[in-house]
Amino acid sequence: MVTSGIRDITTHKDTEQDLAQSEAKYRGLLEAAPDAMVVVNQDGEIILLNIRAEDQFGYPRDELLGQKLTTIIPEGFAERLIADGLRTAAEALAQQIGTGIELSGRRRNGSYFPIEMMLSPLESAGGILVTAAIRDITTRKNAERHLAQTEAKYRGLLEAAPDAMVVVNQAGDIVLLNIRAEEQFGYKRDELLGQKVTTIIPEGFAERLIADGLRSAAEALAQQIGTGIEIYGRRRDGSDFPIEIMLSPLESVEGILVTAAIRDITTRKNAERYLAQTEAKYRGLLEAAPDAMVVVNQGGEIVLLNIRAEEQFGYKRDELLGQKVTTIIPEGFAERLIADGLRTAAEALAQQIGTGIELYGRRSNGSEFPIEIMLSPLDSAEGILVTAAIRDLTTRKTAEAHARELSRSNEELEQFAYIASHDLQEPLRMVTSYTQLLSKRYKGKLDTDADAFIAFAVDGASRMQRLIQDLLAYSHVGTKGIDLLDVSSEDALHRALANLHDAIETSGALVTHDPIPVVLADETQLVQLFQNLIGNAVKYHGREIPAVHVSAVRNGGGRWMFSVRDNGLGIDPQYFEKIFGMFQRLHRRDEFAGTGIGLAICKKIVERHGGKISVASEPGHGSTFRFSLAGGSAKS
Amino acid sequence: MPLQVLLIEDNPGDVRLTQEAFRDSNISISLHVATDGVEAMEFLRREGVYIDAPRPDLVLLDLNLPKMDGRQVLTRIKEDDGLKTIPVVILTTSDAEVDILTSYKLQANCYLSKPVQLDAFENLVKSISDFWFTKVKLPPRGHSTKPPNEIPVVRK
Repeated sequence: MVTSGIRDITTHKDTEQDLAQSEAKYRGLLEAAPDAMVVVNQDGEIILLNIRAEDQFGYPRDELLGQKLTTIIPEGFAERLIADGLRTAAEALAQQIGTGIELSGRRRNGSYFPIEMMLSPLESAGGILVTAAIRDITTRKNAERHLAQTEAKYRGLLEAAPDAMVVVNQAGDIVLLNIRAEEQFGYKRDELLGQKVTTIIPEGFAERLIADGLRSAAEALAQQIGTGIEIYGRRRDGSDFPIEIMLSPLESVEGILVTAAIRDITTRKNAERYLAQTEAKYRGLLEAAPDAMVVVNQGGEIVLLNIRAEEQFGYKRDELLGQKVTTIIPEGFAERLIADGLRTAAEALAQQIGTGIELYGRRSNGSEFPIEIMLSPLDSAEGILVTAAIRDLTTRKTAEAHARELSRSNEELEQFAYIASHDLQEPLRMVTSYTQLLSKRYKGKLDTDADAFIAFAVDGASRMQRLIQDLLAYSHVGTKGIDLLDVSSEDALHRALANLHDAIETSGALVTHDPIPVVLADETQLVQLFQNLIGNAVKYHGREIPAVHVSAVRNGGGRWMFSVRDNGLGIDPQYFEKIFGMFQRLHRRDEFAGTGIGLAICKKIVERHGGKISVASEPGHGSTFRFSLAGGSAKS
Repeated sequence: MPLQVLLIEDNPGDVRLTQEAFRDSNISISLHVATDGVEAMEFLRREGVYIDAPRPDLVLLDLNLPKMDGRQVLTRIKEDDGLKTIPVVILTTSDAEVDILTSYKLQANCYLSKPVQLDAFENLVKSISDFWFTKVKLPPRGHSTKPPNEIPVVRK
C-alpha cells in the first residue's frame, strides 16, 4: 500500500528545508499513487491532495486546500479522526490504521459515491497529519450488489427445488443448503454449513468432486454432470439411506462450486427391489409351469415367455420378445384380447378368464398345431398384461382321435360278437343238430365208414361250437365296459361252482375255500374267472380225485391275492407264460378237449381289473393259480 | 282235439328239428308253421288262405323273422284283445339280455333259447310239452275276449 511508503518517509524528522525537500519528494510519490490521496491536519483541514483526488471529487486543487475534509467526505472521517474524551486522536487514529473504512464521498456537483479509505499518520513539524488514501469503490459495490441479488435469486431457486440441494466448494465444504437438505439429513442449517460434505454423504461424493492426480476437479466434475449417481446418504442419527445425486457446476466469486441435487430414493429402491423380487418369483413360476407361457401387453406384443414357449413354437426368446402375439397364434387370441367398441379390454378379458379356448398355434417353420389357451390378467407397472398358458393339444387330439377310433372298433367288435352269437351260431347249430340227429337215428344202420364220418362231423361241429362260444366270451371281456362294484367273491365263487355243477359231479371233485373277501370287481367276469380256473383244475386231473382249494390273503395297498390250488397234473415251468396266450394248449385233443382260450380269458379279466395272474406248479404235484384284485370299499 | 300249436320260424332246419322233437315226445299236438311275421298274423287273424285256421293254444315265436320280426308279431298279438290270451313262448337262438328284456316287456309268456346240442334241444322241446301241454291250465277255448290271464296256472 501506498501508505506504507508514506510511513517510511515519516521516520525522518528534519528542518523546514528538509520538509520542503521532503515535500517535493512526497508530492512526487503522492501523485504517483493510484488512489486519491488527501492529507489532513488535526483540525480536519485539507492541506495536501493529489491530482486523482481532484479528479475523483471534481474540484480544482485550490478550491479544496484549506477546506474542511467534511466538504468531500461528509460523515465518518472526522468522527474517527477526532478523539472522543476518552482517548487521544493518536489512539483513535491508531485503531483505524491499516483498516479499510467504507464511507461515502461527495463530489463538487453534490453527488455521492462509495469510497474505501485507508488512513495513515504522518508526523510533521506542524504535528501529526493524517494521510487518507481514498478509493472509489462504485464498481465493486455494484458488483457486490449484483452478486447479492444473484445469490438471493439462487437461494430462492434452491429452496423451491423438490430435492435436497447442497452446494459444496472445491475443498468439499458445504457452503449452502436448502431446507429439504436439512430435513432429509436431520441437521439444522448451521450444523452443516462449513462441514465436510462427507458428513452427510460418506462415500462417493467427495471422490467424484475432488480430482485425483490425473485430472482437474473441473474435469472430474464434468464427467459427473447430469449423471444420476446412486450412493448412500447418512442422517444425523447415523442411519443410511439410498440417494441419487445430480451434480452441476456453479461459478461463483469463490471459484467453481458444485451444486448437488440429492434425492431420497428409498421408496423407489424398495419398489425396485419388490419388483425385482416379484419378477424373479413370477419368472420362477413361469419357468416351472408345465405349459408354454406367454405374457402379452395391451398392444398384443409379447413381453415375457418361458422356455416351454420357445420349444413349443420353435423360436428363441429374443426372436419373440416385442413381436405381435399373432406371430405364434395367428387367429383368435388378439380378437379376444382387444376390445371391440362395445366393451373394454378388461371386460373382453374377463369373459375369457379361466376358459380354455381351442385355437391353432404356428411354429417358426410355419407348421400349425392345435392349442388350448387359458388367459389370466396380470397387473403390472405397464398396466394389465395378459398371461396366456398355452397347451399343445396335438397329443390330446391324437389321443382323442385314437379313442374315437377305438370306441368305433369296439362297437364294431360288439356288433361282430352279436352277429357271431346269432347269425354264425344259427347255421352251426344246424350242422351240429343234424349230424347228431344223423348219428342218433342211423348209427349202426349204415356201414362202419358212415358211422366214422358222421362221428367226425359231429365232433368237428361241436368243437367249432365251443370255439365260437369261447371267442365270444373273450371278446366280451374286452368290449364290454366293466362295472366295478363291491362284489362278494364268495358269492361269485358259488355261482361259478353252480355253473360247473355237472363237471364237478362227474369227476367227483372236492372244491373247498377259506372265507374270501368282498372285492371291487365286475361280478359276471369274476364268476367267469373262477369258473375257468376251477373248471381247468377239475378237468386236468390225475389219478386222484380232483381237490381244489380257493383262498385269499391281503396283498398290501388294500389288495387281495387269490389262490386256486389243485392236485392235478401240474404244468412244466417252461409253459408258465405260454398257457395264458390265445389258443395255447398243452394236451392233445384226444387227451383233453379245449379251445386254448380259457386262461387267455382269465388273464384278460384280471388285467381289466388292474391285477396280475400267474401260476406256480410242478408237473405231477398240482398247480396254484394266483391273481390279485382290489379290495372292496366295504368291510368283508 | 289235439292242442293247436303255431310255430313261427323261418329256418326250415329249425322247423324240422322242432317237428322231430315233438314227434319223439309222443304228445298229440297239431303243429302249424308260419315262416314270417306277416304270414303268422294272417294265420292268427284267419285271413286269406287261413280263413279256416284253428285258433292256436300256444305260439312258439322266433325273434328274427323276415318281413315282420318276432318283436312286432309279439306286440300285435298282445295288443289284440282276441289274441292276447294265447300264451307266447319265445324260442330263439339269441341269449342277448336286450332280447330277453324286450320280450318280457312285450308280455312274452316265457323266453327260451335254443340249445346247440341235439339232445339238449330235444330235452327243451320235451320240457315245453311237459309244462305247457300237461301242467299248465290254458285259457278256455271260445272265451278269447275275456280279460287276459297271462300268468300260467300250474296244475297241482
